[in-house]
Amino acid sequence: MKKSLSWWLLFTVLMSSMPLLISTRSLRIFIFANFIAIFAMSWDILSGYTGYISFGHPFLIGIAGYTSAILSHQYATPLYISMPLAILLTMVAGSLFFFPALRTRGTYFALVTLAFMEVTYHLVQVVRPDVTGGSRGLTGLPLLVTGAVQNYYVSLFAMLLIGMGLWALARSGLGTVLSAIRMDEDAVKSAGLNTSKFKLFAFTLSALVAGIGGVLFTHYLGSISPRGMFDINFLFTILIAALIGGEHSIVGPILGAYFLTFLLEFSRPYIPGSWRYLCYGMIALIVYMYAPRGLFTIVTAVENRIRGKNLKGEEYDSQAA
Amino acid sequence: MSGIIIQGFLISGLYALVAVGFTMIFSVGRVLNLAYGIYIMLGGYAYYTLAQVLELSKAISLLGAIAVGVLFGVLTYFGIVKRLLNNPIAVEISTLILAVVMQAVIILIYSPAPRAIWPIVPGISRIQNIIISWNIFFAMITSWVVLGALLIFVRKTQVGRAILAVSMDTKGALLSGIDPERINILTWALSGALGALAGVFFATYTQLEPSMWVSPLITAVAVVIIGGIGSIIGSLVAAHIVGFMETITTTVIAPELRGVFTLLLIIIILVILPKGLLGQEET
Repeated sequence: MKKSLSWWLLFTVLMSSMPLLISTRSLRIFIFANFIAIFAMSWDILSGYTGYISFGHPFLIGIAGYTSAILSHQYATPLYISMPLAILLTMVAGSLFFFPALRTRGTYFALVTLAFMEVTYHLVQVVRPDVTGGSRGLTGLPLLVTGAVQNYYVSLFAMLLIGMGLWALARSGLGTVLSAIRMDEDAVKSAGLNTSKFKLFAFTLSALVAGIGGVLFTHYLGSISPRGMFDINFLFTILIAALIGGEHSIVGPILGAYFLTFLLEFSRPYIPGSWRYLCYGMIALIVYMYAPRGLFTIVTAVENRIRGKNLKGEEYDSQAA
Repeated sequence: MSGIIIQGFLISGLYALVAVGFTMIFSVGRVLNLAYGIYIMLGGYAYYTLAQVLELSKAISLLGAIAVGVLFGVLTYFGIVKRLLNNPIAVEISTLILAVVMQAVIILIYSPAPRAIWPIVPGISRIQNIIISWNIFFAMITSWVVLGALLIFVRKTQVGRAILAVSMDTKGALLSGIDPERINILTWALSGALGALAGVFFATYTQLEPSMWVSPLITAVAVVIIGGIGSIIGSLVAAHIVGFMETITTTVIAPELRGVFTLLLIIIILVILPKGLLGQEET
């Protein structure tokens, strides 16, 4: 526990000093990485922990972004009102996710969440396009803070707070119950625990994190559009950040988001932009198929090897959790 | 009214062809292949390349497109599905990633710009005020012929019955001397072929673009959920439910809402009847 805390401290200090070390342009990429890390952690606490795979996270993020964008842009609501309202609405939307999860599991649940995302994509463009901006979306939204350094600190501290909060939670008894649901939901039920209650908690928490990320991201970009938000490519970025880093670990998605960002940054001179999704996808596919627990477990395994411990199989999971 | 009926049957025929390859995989392998839309897209692009860039004859181009579909179907099976066979959720995630990767490949080769594909059978007819494109009509006829042939193949031939046996009970089929591995390869090849064939028609119905795989995939998912697994007739009926619903939405309510009701149907059926309309076992 103490060792882990010192790692968090080291990470915080390192990341906080980043604006002194790198250029403004690179900083913008780090801001993006922080947001992807938030979204990937939100995915992880729901899908990585309980095993209910969500293909609809852009739905939650989009609900948050659009609510705050519409309130602040069309109705001139100040951000300190529109943002909390948007996050609240996202949590309600998160419990909408929850109802299918009461009855469907596994592959079908993922399909329902994907359908949620696609339905919203169509509806946003058709229903009241004068309010939502239709297929072109809304631009010129009020910004929360201006300047790369300020935005970097906002995204960084949001990410760190969420990361540490979820990490502490995942190591508590609550995290254990959620992991147990992933392994065998019926067994958890037989143990006398009300799984619905725990699932609702995980769904609402995931929506809360997605909502916070969504509103901050929208008011950082200053624009929002259906194609940018409710899109399979956006889902893909979140999903592979979580999968490459290692789901079911909270720290993994942060690692994954940064790994992807570094990959992008260092490969920029060699790999043109259009190759990006291809490279990401291939790496994600290979890591997911051959090391399904992701980079985080590889790192842990190497560390243990160096320290002379010899852990195998399931013990990784208990270490990760 | 008659317009809705004619359009409905035309579109439903196309949808049945789009969905049947997806249903087959779900029946035999019990996995949802989210890369299925890619076979449709690859079929369309392969036909486009052969017929319009290399200017080969239509029949050869059609066969070439089907061959590409077969190749990718078998590659998906060996590259991904076979390695994750006991984990349907992992298959679902991996095939989704594969689909996005293949979309990137298509963008690299053909650029993101949409392309028009020439109809296989050009021309239109008018019955009163209803325009019927011969191409879609031909797609519907092809769909009926292919589905009929498939039905006879599955019911009457030895190999077809083996496919049916594996879809019902893999262990039981194994005990009766069927090699499920061979059946799986065959099914994936067939699925790829059907997807690519459907793709050629689908691309002439809409247009070729790198994101065109999403909407036929959703149609196929809807058909599987409504029609249940293991039944070609069920897929045909479900394709007509989806097709007519979309036609009615387009003509009566608004064209933009076409896909919305299909998606809502998926959500509602899965929430109310978690095992699908015909109560198939959940995977």
